[in-house]
Amino acid sequence: MNITELNSFVVQQINSGVVIIDAEYNIDLINHFVVLHGGVKKEQAKGQNLFSLFPELPEHWLKRKLQSVFTLNTPAFSSWEQRQYIFKMPHSRPITTTNDFMAQNCTILPIVEKGEVKQACIIIEDATDVCYYQQQLNVAMNKLEKSNQTDGLTQVANRRYWEERCIIEFDTAQRHDRPLSLMLFDLDKFKNINDTFGHRGGDQVLVELAAKIKDLLRSADLIGRYGGEEFGIICPNTGGKGAAELSERIRKEVQMHKIMFEGQAIFVTLSIGVIEISDQYKSYEEMLSRADMALYQSKREGRNRVTLYKA
Amino acid sequence: MNITLSEDQRDCLQELINVAMGQASDKLARYLETFVHLDVPYIELVGSDTLPLLFAQKYNGSSVSVVSQGFYGNDGIRGESLLVYRRDNAKEVASLLGYEPEEANENEQLADISSILTTTFLNGLAELISNQMSYSAPRLISSLNTSLDSHLEQLSFNWELALKVDISYQVTDYSFNCDMILLIPGEAIQNIQSVLDRILEEY
Repeated sequence: MNITELNSFVVQQINSGVVIIDAEYNIDLINHFVVLHGGVKKEQAKGQNLFSLFPELPEHWLKRKLQSVFTLNTPAFSSWEQRQYIFKMPHSRPITTTNDFMAQNCTILPIVEKGEVKQACIIIEDATDVCYYQQQLNVAMNKLEKSNQTDGLTQVANRRYWEERCIIEFDTAQRHDRPLSLMLFDLDKFKNINDTFGHRGGDQVLVELAAKIKDLLRSADLIGRYGGEEFGIICPNTGGKGAAELSERIRKEVQMHKIMFEGQAIFVTLSIGVIEISDQYKSYEEMLSRADMALYQSKREGRNRVTLYKA
Repeated sequence: MNITLSEDQRDCLQELINVAMGQASDKLARYLETFVHLDVPYIELVGSDTLPLLFAQKYNGSSVSVVSQGFYGNDGIRGESLLVYRRDNAKEVASLLGYEPEEANENEQLADISSILTTTFLNGLAELISNQMSYSAPRLISSLNTSLDSHLEQLSFNWELALKVDISYQVTDYSFNCDMILLIPGEAIQNIQSVLDRILEEY
């Protein structure tokens, strides 16, 4: 083969699509890959308008892109990450991947003759594998992020994540001058439960209560496990009065909730401290330490009660 | 590696960039059908360790989107172009590009406009130094949800020093602006220096 034949061989047989069009979007050349995957006949393609041969192309957008190549004499790109494909084609791994169509990275190159862009060369690369692995990776990363934020036993937010959210909600509330309340609560005499029913019994109490309380919250509220038997709840856009009412409801529901462990009924009560944001607090930690004071007041005054911190 | 840019080299590069900017502005005006103003470039050598700090100071923790695009030409001229957009600006891009609403998502719009700005300018610059550039696809490296400096801090650079060129673009009709930061790292600086020396000799 001479060099021209070799070039032609490579263009035809390479495992990427090649389409060359003129400034009127008429096709000058398509290679084997496009013929096979695009389901078109080679004899039909030559001289035909790109957009009538491939009616599913995003015409307005692609024309604008091609204009940039012709006007500016610059390459243009399209990535599967932003647009899964330009040419709608089946891909070669229909069995082992979940995508319906070939993910594509496309490059459009200007072809210059006598100082003017006369044609554009569209190169289509199959990125289905990359796309598939990236999706798998994203799923794994999301799971990992979730498990990084979750308390293993109770499946509510862990302390680290809960405090991270505290910082964000505190800043947001301050910046937009919105209400915000925090609650801290503690299971009364939890040590007795552990002593009577063992740690497995104690664990079950924590798991059931966390789930029970989570059900009572609104979607914006966030419950987190703050310590052994101590939990916190962030209530965005909620004043002290509203948060105290919610706490009271939680307290009552928990007190009536029967937890069964190895045929025995366990009842528990909560002591709760509530605080609402005010200009005097410079950080969420200042709020938390006062919520803790309110919580201890609830304990001192006989447990199973709610105390709203008063400055 | 101890590299400094002589005053002549700096002036020469500055002049080349000015000419390329003029050409780019003209071409962009034709394609985007609006006037694009490019600010006087700022050229400096930066260490890889100070780069995150420079970004942190410039953007002051405000949320920005960054698109990166690699470029490589003859004579070992290569580097990376970073286009930085502030939050408010990201909205104007679709109409600037002449896209229909909903035709392309925000990330795609940013990638598209970035590639246009970078390649138009660099093609012009390459021509002035009798070079020819190729480009990698533009890639969104940080979006509005992540801060750029924290992204940069996570990277470990394989270069110590880079030639940094800052150019800011303003499109008054769309109250749109963005910054283009060209980074030419390590050995490529010396390669561009010899190109500059050659031009200075011919001059």
